[in-house]
Amino acid sequence: MSTAEWKKGSAELLVLSVLEDQPRHGYDISKLIQLRSGGALRFHVTSLYPLLHRLEKHGWIVGRWVEKPEQRRRRYYSLTARGREALREKQQSWKDFVALITRVTGIEHG
Amino acid sequence: MADWRAIVRARLTDLRLTASAESELTEELAQHLDDLHRDLQSGGAPDEAAYRETISELDDIAALRAGIDRNQLMAKHEVVPVGDATSRTNLDDLRRDLRYAARTWRSNPLFVFVVIVTLGLGIGANTTVFTVVNTLIVSPMPVRAPSELMALASVASTGTAQANTPMPLSRPNFLDYEAQTSVFSGVAGYVPMRALTWQAHGASQPLLSEFVTGNYFPTLGVAAGIGRTFGPEAERPGDPQPVAVMNYGTWQTRFGGAADIVGRQLRLNNVVVTIVGIAPPRFIGVNGLVGPDLWLPLHLAEQLLPNEMPAVVGNRSRPLLQVVARVKPGVTTAQAQANVGAVAAVLAREYPAANAGQAVMVRPVRDVLFGRASTMVRFAGAVLALVAGVVLLIACSNVANLLLARCGARQQEMAVRIALGASRTRLVRQLLTESVCLGLLSGGFGLLIGYVAMQLLAKSLPATGILTTSGLDGAVLLFTLVVSLATGLIFGMVPAISVSRADVSGTLQESRTAGRSPRSATVASALLVGQVALSFLLLVTAALFLRSIQRAYEIDPGFDADHLAVFLTNPGQAGYDEPQTNAFYRDVAERAARLPGTESVAWASNMPLFARPLGGLQVEGRPPELPIDSSSTIVNTVSRSYFQTSGVVIEEGRAFTDVDRPTSLPVAIVNAKVARDYWPGAAAIGKRIQIPGERQMREIVGIARIGNYSSFGELPQRCVYVPLEQNPLPAMTLYVRTTGDPTQTVNAVRGEILAAGPHVMISGIRTGQQVIDGSLFQARVGVALLSVFGLLALGLASIGLYGILSYAVNQRQREIGLRMALGASQATVLRMVVKQGMSLVVVGMTIGIGAALLVGRLLNRMLFGVRAGDVVSFIGAALVLSTVALLACYLPARRATRLDPLVALRQS
Repeated sequence: MSTAEWKKGSAELLVLSVLEDQPRHGYDISKLIQLRSGGALRFHVTSLYPLLHRLEKHGWIVGRWVEKPEQRRRRYYSLTARGREALREKQQSWKDFVALITRVTGIEHG
Repeated sequence: MADWRAIVRARLTDLRLTASAESELTEELAQHLDDLHRDLQSGGAPDEAAYRETISELDDIAALRAGIDRNQLMAKHEVVPVGDATSRTNLDDLRRDLRYAARTWRSNPLFVFVVIVTLGLGIGANTTVFTVVNTLIVSPMPVRAPSELMALASVASTGTAQANTPMPLSRPNFLDYEAQTSVFSGVAGYVPMRALTWQAHGASQPLLSEFVTGNYFPTLGVAAGIGRTFGPEAERPGDPQPVAVMNYGTWQTRFGGAADIVGRQLRLNNVVVTIVGIAPPRFIGVNGLVGPDLWLPLHLAEQLLPNEMPAVVGNRSRPLLQVVARVKPGVTTAQAQANVGAVAAVLAREYPAANAGQAVMVRPVRDVLFGRASTMVRFAGAVLALVAGVVLLIACSNVANLLLARCGARQQEMAVRIALGASRTRLVRQLLTESVCLGLLSGGFGLLIGYVAMQLLAKSLPATGILTTSGLDGAVLLFTLVVSLATGLIFGMVPAISVSRADVSGTLQESRTAGRSPRSATVASALLVGQVALSFLLLVTAALFLRSIQRAYEIDPGFDADHLAVFLTNPGQAGYDEPQTNAFYRDVAERAARLPGTESVAWASNMPLFARPLGGLQVEGRPPELPIDSSSTIVNTVSRSYFQTSGVVIEEGRAFTDVDRPTSLPVAIVNAKVARDYWPGAAAIGKRIQIPGERQMREIVGIARIGNYSSFGELPQRCVYVPLEQNPLPAMTLYVRTTGDPTQTVNAVRGEILAAGPHVMISGIRTGQQVIDGSLFQARVGVALLSVFGLLALGLASIGLYGILSYAVNQRQREIGLRMALGASQATVLRMVVKQGMSLVVVGMTIGIGAALLVGRLLNRMLFGVRAGDVVSFIGAALVLSTVALLACYLPARRATRLDPLVALRQS
């Protein structure tokens, strides 16, 4: 499975996951995903921001313009209660899916 | 340092995001790119590479487009066309203007509704009038090349009072003209229609029939709609089968459009006639308004009307045929006249007894379609067209005012667009596109109104008449289209011009609630003054005609129309001989007199107000008059009780009595006009006269009061009464005077007539009042139409007045509030607003009075018993107009007084 397809299927899970511990702005989100995947997963701005807006529309995350002293105005996204719930669900079904694949392919024992 | 914001914005333009979505997204993306660029640079990447990598983030714009939420996109329609910069082609502009117009209308449907109704009424009125005028005057006859058709009529060559009264030609003269003239490709004659008795289903009904010469249809160039017409062969003596052609309208209404009509046999006056064809729709012969039910070959006349015709058809002295001829191509009216005149001179030499002093006049046939009323019909048509045009003008100026008011509201928008680079021509074009569109929409509505009006008109007129179809043909559609386009241009011009002159910087600096500019307010006031003047003009005209009709009803027609009913019967056509006919008259009179509710009963040969004058009255001791000279004597054959029943007063001498028998001394009663004309200052009683068609002298035994005989309010005519016993006739009219409402008695009398003569046709049952109404029909239609148009105009002008004042009050809210805050009373404010409106009304009315006086002069000939400057009409119209105008001013004024000064002051 190519990275692009991975991203497509799991992009929402990735974004929700990096927002689990604290609110982040868009560049932060994309950098974190890239960092944690060791550079393998990368979002372009043209797909990241529509995704963020879509998640916001679902009510899973909320974006707020925040002005901090000595810094530029930035839009920070944070997880909502419903977003947290969605994240749990997605994590669970991902685990189930990976377990299933693992069992079928026997990769772990191979 | 790259300007990421600008780069991102440039990439996003194509996405057509809403303004807020675009600015947020731009900011987020720009920051992201900025962060990335910084990180790349601090990570040691060279400037060039860092920039390239950063910018590549934006490569996949398609993903962005796909991922954007729909409600962050702009609505489907395009942005307001700001200026010329992006205009590509004219068609493109047009499409954009149309879309823009549609969008503006959607946001203000009430405005569009008012415009379409207002203009639709105006256009509808014009479409209706045009259809009528087109049918009656422009192309009345569905025949081949109608301009080639000429009417031939006999006139006196020597100058007398009646010199210009055209008379029909006798049949022998007609044949000579047909044979001896060389300018015509065909000459045809017809006997003006008369009612024949159609004996069917046990009851007899009248069928109006026109006897025509054999070449009638070929000369007119009319082919049958169904079946065939007849040609000269139908006139050949001894033609075994009597044939007839039926009017399309008669077929549709009286025979239900029966498919087997051709070949059907009708029993007319005891002769069986076969229908061989149906005339094409709309063909009603050479008649103006109403055509006959049937056309029959002339030779049948003697067979069908044995009592009246045989003596007439072969008689060179008896006028019989209206003549219509088709000139050969290229022959002018003058050439035809010269040729016919030469033949007339020959005929006058050959047959001096009949033709001396006679000439023949050749005129285009359209001049005679309506008989003597031809010029009147044209004049009325012109007046109607003018009136409808005036109504449309009022509607236009009304809509122009509405648009001006809206323009005031849109001035900001226009000024902004001009400031942004839109050229004024572009804006004017857009406004015109909008108004022309409105005009076209209104035209559609107007066409609908016209169609409905023509349907109503057709329903209220006889099916054999000329206006039987809606008549909305290509000419009418074209007319409506042109009128609609012109209307749109006219009412759109005013606001367009006012926009093109708008002062941009001034408008932009004004507060947002800026209203009408002083200039457009002046234009609006001028338009309103015009509206008031025009509606006043129409109201005065309507009032003049109304008064004219009132006067007509006040006229004493010379008989007593109340409690009177008349029944036209024709026992002669049912095949009764003279003794049978006389017995029938006696029987009916006795039966009707026995009915409860009848006061007296009489017979007379003339219907009231339907008499036709005859020529040929001779007075003992005076040289015999030529037939053509004395065409103005009414002869009425009456029973003894006629004078009592009809209410005609005997002023001198006696009425007819029992002593006047067939064998006794022939007597007559003349009216005062005969007595005055022939024996001025001397006693007429005892003098002797000879009535047309008789050889004996009659002694005058009484003098009757002058009445109206042929039409209401006519000039005095000579009239001679002779006793029925001494002049038995095959067709007579029963006069019944009732004690109560004559309509209650009509059916009973009808029953008694049928009981006395089951085969006798009864036609023309009317009460005295209906006779008078019928005689005033044209005038009443005229008044009705003028009143409708006048009220329409008044209504439109009032709405306009109301609209302008409402708007003015809105604009002046601050000022009014200030005045009230400073202590002005409600009455003062009310007076102020009403004064503003009424001063315009007064100016308009003053202009209207001047115009009405001028127009009244033109209308003088159509007025009866009322002068064009009739004070009552003028005052009446002024009262109606000012009352309505006052109301239209009062409503906005009252609203002004109810303003809360504080609220009003805060507004701005």
